Amino acid sequence: MNSIILLTSFGILNLFIGFSKSKKIIMPLVLLFLAIVFVVNLTGWNDTQTYFERMLTIDNFAIAFTAVVVLTTILVLPFSQSYIDQQNDSLAEYYSLLLFSLVGAIMMVAYENLLMLFVGIEILSISMYILAGSDKKNLKSNEAGLKYFLMGSFATGILLFGIVLIYGATGTFYISEISSAATAQSNNELTSPLLGMGLLFTLIGISFKVSAAPFHFWTPDVYEGTPTFFMAFMSTVVKAAGFAGFYKLMSVSFAGAQNIWFPTLIAMAVVTLAIGNIGAVAQNSFKRMMAYSSISHAGYLMIALLSFNDRSENAIFFYSLAYSVSTVAALGILKLVADQRDDVSYNAFNGLGRTNPLLAAVMTISMCSLAGIPLTGGFFGKLFIFSAALEQELLWLIIVAILMAAVGFYYYFRVIIAMYMREPSGDRVPVGSVATFALIFMTVLTFVLGIAPGLLSNIL
Amino acid sequence: METTATTHLPSDYLPILIQFAAALGFVIFAIVVTHLIGPKRHSKVKDAAWECGVESVGNARTPVSYKYFMTAILFVIFDVEVIFLYPWAVNFRGLGMEGFIQMIVFMTMLMLGFYYVIKKGILKWE
Amino acid sequence: MDYILSSLIFIPLLAVLIILCLPKHFTQGIKLVALLATSLQLILSVWLYSAFDASATVQGYQFVQQLNWISLNLQSLGLLQIQYFVGVDGISLSMVLLTGLISVIGIISSWTISKNIKGYFALYLLLVGSVMGCFLALDFFLFYLFFEFMLLPMYFLIGIWGGPRREYAAIKFFIYTLIGSLLILIVMIGLYTSAFDPAATAVRANLAPAGQVVSAEVVAEVQRQVAAGTLTGASIVHTFSIPDMQQAANFIPGSILNILSEKQLWDIPVRYLAFLLLFIGFAIKLPVVPVHTWLPDAHVEAPTPISVLLASLLLKVGGYGLFRIVYPVFPEAAAYYAYFVGLVGVLSIIYGAMCALAMADLKKLIAYSSVSHMGFVLLGLASLTSEGTNGAMYQMFSHGLISAMLFIITGVIYDRSGSRMIDNFRGLAFSMPAFTALVVVAFFASLGLPGFSGFIAELLVLLGAFSSSAVSGMLPRWLAIVATGGLLLGAAYYLWALQRMFFGKHWVHPELKGEPVMTDLTKREYLMLVPLAILVLIFGLFPSLLLNKISPDINYFLQSVLQNR
Repeated sequence: MNSIILLTSFGILNLFIGFSKSKKIIMPLVLLFLAIVFVVNLTGWNDTQTYFERMLTIDNFAIAFTAVVVLTTILVLPFSQSYIDQQNDSLAEYYSLLLFSLVGAIMMVAYENLLMLFVGIEILSISMYILAGSDKKNLKSNEAGLKYFLMGSFATGILLFGIVLIYGATGTFYISEISSAATAQSNNELTSPLLGMGLLFTLIGISFKVSAAPFHFWTPDVYEGTPTFFMAFMSTVVKAAGFAGFYKLMSVSFAGAQNIWFPTLIAMAVVTLAIGNIGAVAQNSFKRMMAYSSISHAGYLMIALLSFNDRSENAIFFYSLAYSVSTVAALGILKLVADQRDDVSYNAFNGLGRTNPLLAAVMTISMCSLAGIPLTGGFFGKLFIFSAALEQELLWLIIVAILMAAVGFYYYFRVIIAMYMREPSGDRVPVGSVATFALIFMTVLTFVLGIAPGLLSNIL
Repeated sequence: METTATTHLPSDYLPILIQFAAALGFVIFAIVVTHLIGPKRHSKVKDAAWECGVESVGNARTPVSYKYFMTAILFVIFDVEVIFLYPWAVNFRGLGMEGFIQMIVFMTMLMLGFYYVIKKGILKWE
Repeated sequence: MDYILSSLIFIPLLAVLIILCLPKHFTQGIKLVALLATSLQLILSVWLYSAFDASATVQGYQFVQQLNWISLNLQSLGLLQIQYFVGVDGISLSMVLLTGLISVIGIISSWTISKNIKGYFALYLLLVGSVMGCFLALDFFLFYLFFEFMLLPMYFLIGIWGGPRREYAAIKFFIYTLIGSLLILIVMIGLYTSAFDPAATAVRANLAPAGQVVSAEVVAEVQRQVAAGTLTGASIVHTFSIPDMQQAANFIPGSILNILSEKQLWDIPVRYLAFLLLFIGFAIKLPVVPVHTWLPDAHVEAPTPISVLLASLLLKVGGYGLFRIVYPVFPEAAAYYAYFVGLVGVLSIIYGAMCALAMADLKKLIAYSSVSHMGFVLLGLASLTSEGTNGAMYQMFSHGLISAMLFIITGVIYDRSGSRMIDNFRGLAFSMPAFTALVVVAFFASLGLPGFSGFIAELLVLLGAFSSSAVSGMLPRWLAIVATGGLLLGAAYYLWALQRMFFGKHWVHPELKGEPVMTDLTKREYLMLVPLAILVLIFGLFPSLLLNKISPDINYFLQSVLQNR
């Protein structure tokens, strides 16, 4: 709760700091704000608190995911250097929107009441609609903003409708109270159609937010048009928070009603994996590939959701963290490279191994982590998810997932080919010192997660 | 009593369905009937777009300065906030000091927003 | 000398660090560091070979080093332990020796590399360290780690230093092997959820004091309690340890890969399915027809030393995996599918040889001959006879030596002329007599002429295959007969190539770049080819030199597979 209050006040404060002449102080200040939030958030560890008539619960689950999203934001920020250099007028507003959207993310992981979930999703999404269209003079960005807004608000509408139907079926918005009613009804011959419909609509709404197939159609276009800096934020924070919320809903409310949603979710996981991975193969734009890759990772996370045992939440936490760190590193480098070479295709990375060995090395490691090569965090993320699924004896699902992971190697390694096996297509890419530090930090974190996963694999 | 309160059979929702049908039926009835029995007169003035009773000028689909929208949106925001003031004022005694402080905080936030809007130059028309 | 195995793995990796610290232009220093590291590795592996005690107790892993690396609390499922667990036995010993030897030869062969030397040697040593790690790891996770880590350097070595179609070859190699390793990963996950470490479980369940060797009685007691269901859930320590997985008593009752739980998927027992997944995973690496198509591409595009490593070492990892993991862990499935494995082996032998016969590119010819020769490994293994399995292991060692020679030979021709097409050369014996002599040795060794190591290996394999129907009842006799045909085909393509390229009137295609001068071998090339030729001869004349060391463990391996089938 403290983090929500702090983020809100810092967000407002930041708007006024934006009136200062120099744009240079804004980023350090926002980093400081976020660091404070990060620390304050962690002080609540093992101290479960409820707020607003039990509508929000700040427990370890919420704190852990809050830490992930705040950390991700801290790591994303250094890559906004070009906005500062260009003296962008709206810089402070962008940062404030990021801070506000974090409030939404926290509400999505801490909700006890479906209304809070809805409000959280809305807070997060509305900021994202604006940021997606923030590059006002770019047609693609306009397209992204409008598309995201139209489809997103439609999905939120469906989500709200689902929540209302669930209310109709169970008589409550509280997820723990829904649980008993849902369990009773799902085991009954007379399964209420309201519950089934409500659950389906809620599923659709959340699936849209985490870009799970078949509700993924917006993702490639929106991600491509969104400025890379905000895409890094969107594809990590929204996904981590979305899946935490998704997991919480399923595990608390509908654990007893598995017979309703289990087949649906399995089908969705398979479709998501297939579309994400196969779609990414066909792309020539690195940015679009990363959009599809984010779809495919949603598929892996859905497997964790399906396996549904006492380690799923740890698996989701670990996977989200590993995925976020690597994605931020990859998209951060894309931002740096694209700023100089004005290109977001694979060709932009040509010869990067020669001109910027550090960037190329970091990129290689994050691609390895996304692909799931041992000694990186991504590998253990996948290992946890697969082993959780194997206990459910979902062997065929794992085989599908692993074959899809093999497809993943193809497109992740295309960028490595470009970096090391092609002639440079541009000069050395300038990298700021903060960004360098962030990149090195992310690399170290990826290795720590891969070499000593025990540190973080079991905290929930 | 408890058991009846928590179990709903589909038939319990029948009144809703009936109401829904009645509402839909009335709308369809009204539209169809007016269409059938209403007199139809066409003239130039009658077919023109209605613009507050004033004679219409030009095409309605012309770009409008975004400042108009900004002002309109800000008006809506600040206007809606007044809704919160009214119930508070009615219950002023009941809510007491705590309510007063809460309202102070609320108004401060609102004023901060107002200050931001002015400082950002959104209300400047030129 | 407790750390000898770790030093074998980490000397090259340490050298990688040193090389990375050296300045880019200090090329001689970089090369020397690499040479020094691999030589040290060779010395250590030779020492290991001599110090290995073949008379020791059965199934004895020697020079074992076992450290806990990653412990993960799986809550209701107990504890997952990943160990740094290395050891050597008869099965891995020959491979370790081979790795030590071939890495030095490869470094000598790499001496002429001119593009980005620092990166090349760093990756080369990383590759060598990973291969060594693969052969020494006794923890499945560690094995998998090294297995995956072979891919990355190889991918770069082909992709950056390779020929014109290097990108295609690199990604093809990578995707193929990766699919294989992912299939292995599936089974690995299944195995660790099913298997437990009785000794560590005893400590965790307070049945034995920590920090001491757990006695056999306590181990048996723990196994009994787990089987009876009195020790369950959180107190069980899951393990990746391969020796633990090899015992049926170490599988948790009701788990997915326990032989007694008889789980099925699509009407196939899950254990059979797991065997097939693992088999395909390693077969891609071996490679086996029909998943061999990456090999010719990778070989043609890879630079000579990398081809040498690929053929001599990386292919062996596939065969080694079958020996170390697949057969001992799934003996009943191995017996069930013996016919299939043997059939695939014979298919590889014949198909590989026929393809080799049709190739116009010498390097492709040799690549296909590798496919053919690795088929013998499968055939020997599938026979599940003492001769067959010993022969399969011997074939892995012998093919490692011979294929290294063969690829260096193509390298010699390619360095001089920029071409490897057989039709571009005739009568090379006149301009390169010493070279031709060594080529004759290599070709004859490869086609299985008595007196060379290849003969011993293939003889043993065929003996095993012939006697299999009588001894173990695994393979029908016709498979052995067909496989013998592979030998004839082998003779055909080698002799034909020899005749076309080396005999007749001296002629080199005039349109080759810069009118190549086909001079005889340089000192550096002698240094690579002669020791290999001598070794091929020695191991052909005195097979007991190797067999004495490896047979006891291979026979024990065979015993345990046959008992548990």
